[in-house]
Amino acid sequence: MISINRFALAFLLIFNGVLSSESILIQNATIYDGKDNEGFIGNVLIEDNKIARVTTTNLRGDVVIDAKGKILTPGIISTDTDMGIVEIGALSVTRDDSSDLYQIGFSIYDAFNPNSVVIPWNRSNGITSTLTLPQNTKSPIGGLGSYFVLDSNIEKNGTRDVVMIGRVGGSGGESRAETFAIMEDLLEFATSLDSKDMQSYKDIADLIDDSPIAETMELHPRDLKALYKLVNEDLPLIISANRASDLLKLIDLKKKYGLNLIIKGAQEAGLVANQIAKSNIPLIINPINNIPESFDELAANIELAANLEELGITLIFNAPRSHNYHWIRHGAGVAVANGMTYAGAIKALTLAPVEVFNLGNRGQIAKGKVADLIIWDADPLQPSSMPEKVFINGKDIDLTSRMTRLTERYTKNKLKPNGYRN
Amino acid sequence: MTKLIIKYLFLIFAGLVYADPFESTYEPLPSENILIKNANIYDGEGNEFLQTDILIQDRQIIAIGKDLPVNDEFLIIDATNKWVTPGIIDIHSHMGVYPAPGVSTSADGNEATSPVTADVWAEHSIWVQDPQYALALKGGVTAFHILPGSANLIGGRGVTVKNLQRNTINSMKFPDAPHSLKMACGENPKRVYGNRQQAPSTRMGNAAGYRKSWIEAEAYLSRLIEYEEKSDEAKELAYKPQRNLEMDTLAGVLRGEILVHNHCYRAEEMATMINIAKEFNYKITAFHHGVEAYKIADLLAENNICGALWADWWGFKHEAYDMVQANIAIVDQALGGKGCAIVHSDDAIGIQHLNQEASKALSAGLRAGFNISKARAMNWITSNPAKAAGIYEETGSLKVGKNADVVIWSKNPFSVYALVERVFIDGATAYERNSDFQPSSDFDVGIISPNKNRIEE
Repeated sequence: MISINRFALAFLLIFNGVLSSESILIQNATIYDGKDNEGFIGNVLIEDNKIARVTTTNLRGDVVIDAKGKILTPGIISTDTDMGIVEIGALSVTRDDSSDLYQIGFSIYDAFNPNSVVIPWNRSNGITSTLTLPQNTKSPIGGLGSYFVLDSNIEKNGTRDVVMIGRVGGSGGESRAETFAIMEDLLEFATSLDSKDMQSYKDIADLIDDSPIAETMELHPRDLKALYKLVNEDLPLIISANRASDLLKLIDLKKKYGLNLIIKGAQEAGLVANQIAKSNIPLIINPINNIPESFDELAANIELAANLEELGITLIFNAPRSHNYHWIRHGAGVAVANGMTYAGAIKALTLAPVEVFNLGNRGQIAKGKVADLIIWDADPLQPSSMPEKVFINGKDIDLTSRMTRLTERYTKNKLKPNGYRN
Repeated sequence: MTKLIIKYLFLIFAGLVYADPFESTYEPLPSENILIKNANIYDGEGNEFLQTDILIQDRQIIAIGKDLPVNDEFLIIDATNKWVTPGIIDIHSHMGVYPAPGVSTSADGNEATSPVTADVWAEHSIWVQDPQYALALKGGVTAFHILPGSANLIGGRGVTVKNLQRNTINSMKFPDAPHSLKMACGENPKRVYGNRQQAPSTRMGNAAGYRKSWIEAEAYLSRLIEYEEKSDEAKELAYKPQRNLEMDTLAGVLRGEILVHNHCYRAEEMATMINIAKEFNYKITAFHHGVEAYKIADLLAENNICGALWADWWGFKHEAYDMVQANIAIVDQALGGKGCAIVHSDDAIGIQHLNQEASKALSAGLRAGFNISKARAMNWITSNPAKAAGIYEETGSLKVGKNADVVIWSKNPFSVYALVERVFIDGATAYERNSDFQPSSDFDVGIISPNKNRIEE
């Protein structure tokens, strides 16, 4: 059980407004720090929203939480979500994840809804921040994802346009040869851009008029700005691709244009694992997905995560875009059941996305890192486990969600008529 | 057994009007007599037995107990520290009718050309080379119920199969399993047909659609019964009513021979469907998906209707918005534990992990304050789906006399780290980890590299 010093609790209740100046000590936890280290028993001190100490020696804190026998991990970062931009999948009026007009420069940042019911549910399952991505646009490269820390229900705490997305492969319609040709034309055009030619809206519009590919694609100045950022500012680019031959072609493109490339899906990565390892391309995979869902994914295999880890490939996990982003924990558990290391799986859920997407000072239990922490009621890689405590930016987060409210409404206080229960 | 005798007597009496033209030709794999020694067991009847033996002879479970004696003709498997369960059964699968790869040319699960297609049978859409069966087998699934999709109010017949890939559908069919009928409430039918400016476009249109069909079916059945009840002499003078495929299926439901499996999310819609079932005197076997089943859990239990549910899918539609993870537990615990809860998959990944989905649902139930054992939660993926598929007398639990459909797990099956080590179907090894028993479909052969199968352990 978690016990909070009574005096401290009273203090908390009275001085709620100065919560952040209180230090919080989590002691005797089994710590997985996110940096593929084995678990160790230790104490973590939170001060001013940051992790002040991680140690095996005794510490003092204003609030003390005994986590003996409990696992402590960094907050889980979900890296391929529509959290905050899709409320109900089949209701287009609740969806803000696509654009018919903009392509490369389509950003979802301004649509993000911190009050979405999806957020408290995922947070109560251990997701502390999200890399929210739009749907693929008409252009094979295009659409910008933003990063959001889930510490508030009202205010948006986000970083705009931290990643671009794209896709190649059996989507039907165009030949993949055409897809790659469009990509290369766009990248060639992007490398020809000079910042001094892109000062005014009019300049950019002129550049588009002079470029066959930009004109054919009906690009807007907004698209061109994003394209410039991609090749000149090392913006991470996530391309969805699965077939082994596509993965090899993408390795070539990374080399040719110096892209900061990440591949998502990568169901056939096992067939070209050595080449991927050499290229240093991180992969976003769903380790539980072993279905040959298309002719691009014939090599889908439940041992993919373990096989890729063995070659030192950086892995990040995703789950279907389906409101339950905490399913990445289940995927990680399945990866471990099928040969991946436990600490490696924890890293794929925490520090790996921070390092790959430059998400700041998070994702790890170490001195000086932002205190996004979870105390689990059992092994976090068991899908049946839940957090007992979630800290985001050092704040102890209330884990109530619409789901816990509805559960109470139908399991407690049943004597009252339904519409009059809490 | 008595049921079967009555059924056959009836068929003879009725002049074999309803002889099944697609009868199962299933033949089991070669089997051995086996002693599984010293296993930890969830028997699918709510019991847990530790360090106990299971004896399998002539494809059946013949004993469960401590230190069972055998002669040297038995294959002895040491299951010390391992767990044994009945074969897992999925009551909601679209494998075969929506196979992998998910290409349009094989997406044969929805005859979405008319809102009532009681004449179509899922078994006539099945692709026997779907590579997903073998994946499900590695998740411990020994039988599954394949349903048409949910585009239609009445979507057609479902079929229960053994999880052994064969080259014809007949030879995969579970012998003597009853037929089922897929019905669907809510958003899907009204969206599919409403978008075409035809009925149904509303939920009231849905309800009218079912009732119109049952009115037709009642008339068809009474004409049929009137004919069947005539003397032989009178039959010679009368016209035999012409068969109608749609009505054959609906009349089969009204006669209690075909089990109704009803896709339905919202509480009030499930209650409406119960009203319609009462109006036309048929039984609903299970509501499928039932994201709001917890709101009417007692009503389901009173009417002896199972809830075939996910642990936590939600949000993809408005009717799936009110998810609670304790849904399955609340349905299970209705009326003091009289509820029938089933964890279903509707998904080729989910079917491989039904044990873990059950563990999620169980933990949510414990958090909500229920006292449910793991042994009882095992019923959610074994005996309860077997009952809903009408195959409980043959399988679904480790009871003496039942088919030896058995799974050996490396660890407690409620753990994500538990792997299936061996699966027996009718006492025959169907899969064994790290052995030659690696099932694959023709699709898997030489498709990536000519000398290999698609995946090899």
